Amino acid sequence: MSTVEQRFPTGAPTSVSDLLAEVTSEPPGGRLRVGDPRVSDFLVAFARRLLAPSVARRFPELASLGFFLRRGELEKTIAAATPPLGQLRFPRGVVFHVPPANVDTIFVYSWALSALAGNPNIVRISSRSAGAAVAVLDALNTTLADADPAIAQTQRMVTYGRDDAVTAALSQGCDLRVIWGGDRSVTDIRRHPLRPSARDVTFPDRSSFAVISAAGWRAADAAARRDVAIGLYNDSYWFDQAACASPRAIYWVGEPEAVREARDELFGLLAEVVESKGTEVDAAMSVEKRVSTYGLAAEGVASEVRFAGNAIATVELVEPGLVPRRWLGVGTFPQAQVGSLDDLVSIVERRDQTMSHFGFGTDELVGFAEQLAGRGVDRIVPIGDALTFSSVWDGYDLLREFTRLTTVQSR
Amino acid sequence: MTVATSVFSKSQAERDVSLLQELTELTEHHRAASVEYRRILDAIGHPAGRRYERVADLPWLPVRLFKHHALKSVPDDEVFKVLTSSGTTGAEVSRIFLDKEAAAAQQRMLSATIQTVIGPNRLPMLLVDTKALFKNRRSFSARGAGVLGMMNFGRDHTFVLDENERPDLDAVRGFLAKHGDQPFLIFGFTFMAWLYLYELARDEHLDLSNGILIHSGGWKKLIDQAVDNAEFRRRFAQDTGLTRIHNYYGMVEQIGTVYVEGPSGNGLYCPDFADVIVRDPVTWEEVPVGTPGVIEVVSTLPRSYPGHILLTEDRGVIHGIDDGDWPGKRFSILGRLPRAEARGCSDTFQGAA
Repeated sequence: MSTVEQRFPTGAPTSVSDLLAEVTSEPPGGRLRVGDPRVSDFLVAFARRLLAPSVARRFPELASLGFFLRRGELEKTIAAATPPLGQLRFPRGVVFHVPPANVDTIFVYSWALSALAGNPNIVRISSRSAGAAVAVLDALNTTLADADPAIAQTQRMVTYGRDDAVTAALSQGCDLRVIWGGDRSVTDIRRHPLRPSARDVTFPDRSSFAVISAAGWRAADAAARRDVAIGLYNDSYWFDQAACASPRAIYWVGEPEAVREARDELFGLLAEVVESKGTEVDAAMSVEKRVSTYGLAAEGVASEVRFAGNAIATVELVEPGLVPRRWLGVGTFPQAQVGSLDDLVSIVERRDQTMSHFGFGTDELVGFAEQLAGRGVDRIVPIGDALTFSSVWDGYDLLREFTRLTTVQSR
Repeated sequence: MTVATSVFSKSQAERDVSLLQELTELTEHHRAASVEYRRILDAIGHPAGRRYERVADLPWLPVRLFKHHALKSVPDDEVFKVLTSSGTTGAEVSRIFLDKEAAAAQQRMLSATIQTVIGPNRLPMLLVDTKALFKNRRSFSARGAGVLGMMNFGRDHTFVLDENERPDLDAVRGFLAKHGDQPFLIFGFTFMAWLYLYELARDEHLDLSNGILIHSGGWKKLIDQAVDNAEFRRRFAQDTGLTRIHNYYGMVEQIGTVYVEGPSGNGLYCPDFADVIVRDPVTWEEVPVGTPGVIEVVSTLPRSYPGHILLTEDRGVIHGIDDGDWPGKRFSILGRLPRAEARGCSDTFQGAA
């Protein structure tokens, strides 16, 4: 039987069968329940470590995670999942998480919500994990000292190589499998069958875009405009514009002349933000951006490619529908002008995840979402909030996915 | 051979004039012949008929573009040869399209360049490689093609390594017994010349003093051994008598154009039909002599595909102009730019990126 390396809690290599037996046996103090205080206390203490200046300075993305796990936030999440009268919410069972290999902290969100739902969890940590992921594991292990023993028993993070036997055994042993890491990873992991009663929550390849109303821009004051530039900066540069929620295109809604004006001003402001943050895009990335954008031009997708230093590249799309969706290098903004939000309805695809916006009213946004009718775009959020994780993600209400309902009716 | 036929003859001033004119003409030729190239020029602000004052003002393409796009300036039915190169990642392959004329031209200019250092005749040739190179189809394209291309310049080919990639002392001894008293050619990749030929020759006291070594491939694999160009030349001279050593730099995307190290080892030189420009990695402006930057290569050879002005992913520095063994710029390659990598939700990035 293949063994796995134990990263949290740290421990000697163990077999999958022992691992499954341990997480499923009843811990002292009883099985975890939805919103179990043993878990929320642990998460809150963990969050405090992430928010410590020494950690937050090195990995700003961990500070956001820390905010997400504050007590008030956790309570809100639990409260939102309160079942109606006559229904009881219980943990789903053993959850096997397969996060992306190329280090992202997103898996912590999915694990934390699943733990909050009272599930025993087994998280596969990539052997390539480094940086923020290692800081997360350190913080978790340190927090364990004061935690209820049920945490160490039921919450496990493990590393194993390309061992299909381990993946197969964990897939057989779980009640829910959560697969991050895009299409290839989902397809790859799905080769391993689940028990008939189990199912998958998958996070396939996604891409995102931003929309800005030229009229809304004109109506905004200088401070609001600057906030848009800062928001666009955060959404785009934080994960090298490679997060699924980072905008890979900007659509401008309005008359061409007004759009041109707004666009020039926004990119002027963005350049100031890039400058003030001291963001450096190195030569290799700059070359990467030229390879991808010149390629768009060669394909007849881009009619204009402009570089404002290494950090910002703008690409004029020949048509709004020719949006590339793929990663083009950090700080690359394909753009197109459209007359109204309606023009985007036919362009949106299932794989479009987040539409970040500025300058639109709630009615316009709701109207747009109703026209899309779920055929694409799972999140419509203000520019600047694209990367803010929520317990509703990719169209899933995760706490509901991580739990089951029991109906109780009496005569 | 005579000095008159050397392709290392033009001063920088002469070269600047002829290259500006020829490369501008080539730019217009490719614009007319390749719709992809025309679209790129239009998009980056180089419309038809734009005047250029300096070679450095001409629009360059990133060399990796040839790994993602089929860029060519000849109709499909005139494509005579498609060259490919595997990159370091293996998955990406450049495709370079040659028509008959371009294939002949590149061969002719490569010969003229190499003959500058070896003379007009084919010399007995020692290859620091293995014959098995041509049996393994997988590794053939990369290393094999390079070796095969150079084999044209020699005769009585002898491989330094046996089929199991172990030094074949008997073969080398036999070669030297037969040809070692007259000029002979040695070719190999830099790290192989060091790891296999140098060590063998040193340990076995082989006399390579009549050899002319032509090598390429970079120093990365020799960093562990603390061997740079100067040390390489010094030790070969001291321990094997080999003093005629010419490193060279070139790439499949500018096939036929090779930048050759001068006899004194003080830098690489550009053949008359080519040049290098070093650019600042932030402003992308040309930098002065002595300042390191990213290497752009220009050559008048690429006529069947728009590869006449390319930004490489190599860092380099120009040491001097018209001040060395041969006229023009002399320069060194300092290493490669790191490959840009992104993090994100997805394990793999699709498409061209």
